[in-house]
Amino acid sequence: MATRTVVRKERRLRDIPPALAGLLSFLVPGLGQIIIGYWELGLFYAGSALSLVGLIIWRISVIAYKQETWAERIPVAFSRQGILWVLAIALAALWVLIVVDAVRSAARKRPRNQLGYVIILAMFFLLGWQIVDIDLVKLVTEFGDAVPIISRIAWPWPAAVFREEVAFQGIEIIYSDCDPGDVPPATPQVSGEPYIDVAPRCGELSDYGVAGTLLTVHGSGFRPNEEVVIWWEDPIGKEFRVRYQGDFVTAVTDENGAFAQEFAMPNLLIPPSAGEGPHAHILKARQTSFVGGLKPSKELLLAIEKMVETIFLGMMATLFGVALAIPVSFLAARNLMSASPVTLAIYYATRFILNIVRSIEPIIWAIIATLWVGLGPFAGVIALLFHTIAALGKLYSEAIESIDPGPIEAINAVGANWIQTVVYAVIPQIIPPFVSFTIYRWDINIRMSTIIGAVGGGGIGFLLIQWIRLTDYRAAGIAVWFIAITVAILDLVSSKIRERYV
Amino acid sequence: MLVVENLTKIYPDGTKALDNVSFTVEDGEFLIIIGLSGSGKSTLLRCINRLIDPTEGRVTWDDQDVTAASGPELRRIRREIGMIFQHFNLVKRLSVEQNVLSGRLGYVNPNMALLQRFPADVRDQARATMEQVGISALAHKRADELSGGQQQRVGIARALMQEPKMILADEPVSALDPVLAHNILQDLEGLNKQGITVLCSLHYLDLVQRYATRVIGLREGKIVYRGSREAIRAMTDEEFKDIYGEEAVRIETGRSVSGG
Ligand SMILES: Nc1ncnc2c1ncn2[C@@H]1O[C@H](COP(=O)(O)OP(=O)(O)OP(=O)(O)O)[C@@H](O)[C@H]1O
Ligand SMILES: [Mg+2]
Repeated sequence: MATRTVVRKERRLRDIPPALAGLLSFLVPGLGQIIIGYWELGLFYAGSALSLVGLIIWRISVIAYKQETWAERIPVAFSRQGILWVLAIALAALWVLIVVDAVRSAARKRPRNQLGYVIILAMFFLLGWQIVDIDLVKLVTEFGDAVPIISRIAWPWPAAVFREEVAFQGIEIIYSDCDPGDVPPATPQVSGEPYIDVAPRCGELSDYGVAGTLLTVHGSGFRPNEEVVIWWEDPIGKEFRVRYQGDFVTAVTDENGAFAQEFAMPNLLIPPSAGEGPHAHILKARQTSFVGGLKPSKELLLAIEKMVETIFLGMMATLFGVALAIPVSFLAARNLMSASPVTLAIYYATRFILNIVRSIEPIIWAIIATLWVGLGPFAGVIALLFHTIAALGKLYSEAIESIDPGPIEAINAVGANWIQTVVYAVIPQIIPPFVSFTIYRWDINIRMSTIIGAVGGGGIGFLLIQWIRLTDYRAAGIAVWFIAITVAILDLVSSKIRERYV
Repeated sequence: MLVVENLTKIYPDGTKALDNVSFTVEDGEFLIIIGLSGSGKSTLLRCINRLIDPTEGRVTWDDQDVTAASGPELRRIRREIGMIFQHFNLVKRLSVEQNVLSGRLGYVNPNMALLQRFPADVRDQARATMEQVGISALAHKRADELSGGQQQRVGIARALMQEPKMILADEPVSALDPVLAHNILQDLEGLNKQGITVLCSLHYLDLVQRYATRVIGLREGKIVYRGSREAIRAMTDEEFKDIYGEEAVRIETGRSVSGG
């Protein structure tokens, strides 16, 4: 192989008086350097200094947006945000440094720019901090707000299962807006069933600030040593747990299954539809017990269903994507397409389209696809498909471009035809990268499909967003866990497959 | 018989790699092509079986015009000419056996080869060929697991599967150490003695002196030296340098080493 010597071109520098260089750089940062001949450095200084000035001006106008003139804005902004002082001082220092550097360069000293770079970097960092509103204090002090949500998401399993409940209860009818002398007879006792005796059975409901009639409940025939909860059903059939003095009213039975409890009649609104009094309410003293084993909750079942949908969504997008990306990748491989100007034009066109499609995020494709084919997993497949074709097309074509021409030459030399050459010399070389890229993409597609779902592309992402909107964080936690578990399993599987084929 | 007439190759970038090259190779010769790196040896060998299309000139092999041949005709010519390479050019992910079998692709039904299947007689032939070059034990290894010398033997076996009348060898031993170089060249010499014409490019004078029946020297795409077996044996380092230019150094490769 012939060696090629790389000749480094000597930089041609212009001689100008150091003072003039300094002055030029003072007027426009970097101008001195540009005139001397260090034009890259000069442009860098000019670009950084001017954009920093621009950004600081913008911040001042944002912070002091109510002030009309700059004379008013600047003091207001500097007093509100102390960080502006730091930025102003740093900018001044940078300016001085650039001028000094111009003077030194004009005097043919080796330029020393490290401090300038550090200042520029630090200023951009500070501005970035200011622009994105970083508030570390908030991050720490308001962490408590996130704890209940995080803990529900981190351990959602109580919501994943439930057990069927059966009620064991005694009831009695209580009246309001009634005449104490004219109360229908009490509910008769049935042997073997729980029984409650309530006195009085006619009273006044609580009103805001005024406690209602105090009721005394005596229960018997309940299961011993167990909690009894008092429920109330209003005249229109709405059932709720009774609160008294802020707590739910409960009692615990003695060893004979009896209890006694006192509380005021609750506060509730009788709708006009219930008509004139007396109004009948049902008081229920209820023991509940679970029967049977744990059963999966409907959230869990739904999450499983949607997870399966998501996996298939990712899989279909990957399969179609691979099928379409392979032919596309041949068109986008330079070594295959450089034979004639026509094929070269196709190559450039394909590359161009792939780059555009790839630069549009799947989430945007998902929005387009939902408008196109409606909400649901099909839209998700379409969204992922576009991105997959573009991404895989590029990766595949690069794999094709990097194959070793030696074996192709050798197989040609034995007198093989075109198709035999492809089968023997091209395919064996591209299988490992193709397999590896495909699995990588499948992995991405499954993960991505959860996000796609959030904008209407179906799958578990859709469910997750719904549950978050309903503030059902335990259910959301189930979805999050499923996604994490699936991705982890997929990771494992894909690394195993990759090991095998690469 | 191979006849090369007025062969010129100008690459698209304007490099003139071959400049009006003419020579004839009789059946049974062991012709060695010498020349500095970049002198056009690889280009010349590849123009003979049209892996590279020459810009001008004619190559005739056994009265068939190679330069005018196309499609099936060219493939029929190619399958009579085996080729081995400096970097072996094996299909690395395929087994040794499959690499050897692929040498037969020019003969078999193309559709069968699509499934990477070969008829039983071809498989028998492959077994015998691997036996011949001493790689039977490696048949089921992947090509990229072999040492350089083993890989070159696979390359030779692949060429032999073609039952070639001529072998083109482009620096077959440059990637190998001196002992292996002799082993491989002795293999080629053995084949030559069985009647296969060999065209081989080499860099080292002592290897050239030991194996060549005739030598041509290239410099900047032109033939600058033609020598018979006797002339090359009598060649001094100074004459060698004439062909190679002042940069060339004779590298002692241990001529006394023998082996098989
Ligand atoms: N594809 C190509 N395009 C342009 N120029 C090429 C190409 N291949 C080879 N050349 C040039 O043609 C000339 C001859 O190259 P060639 O590979 O035939 O030399 P060589 O004698 O085989 O050298 P080496 O001993 O290094 O293998 C060199 O100047 C090389 O740079
Ligand atoms: Mg070469």
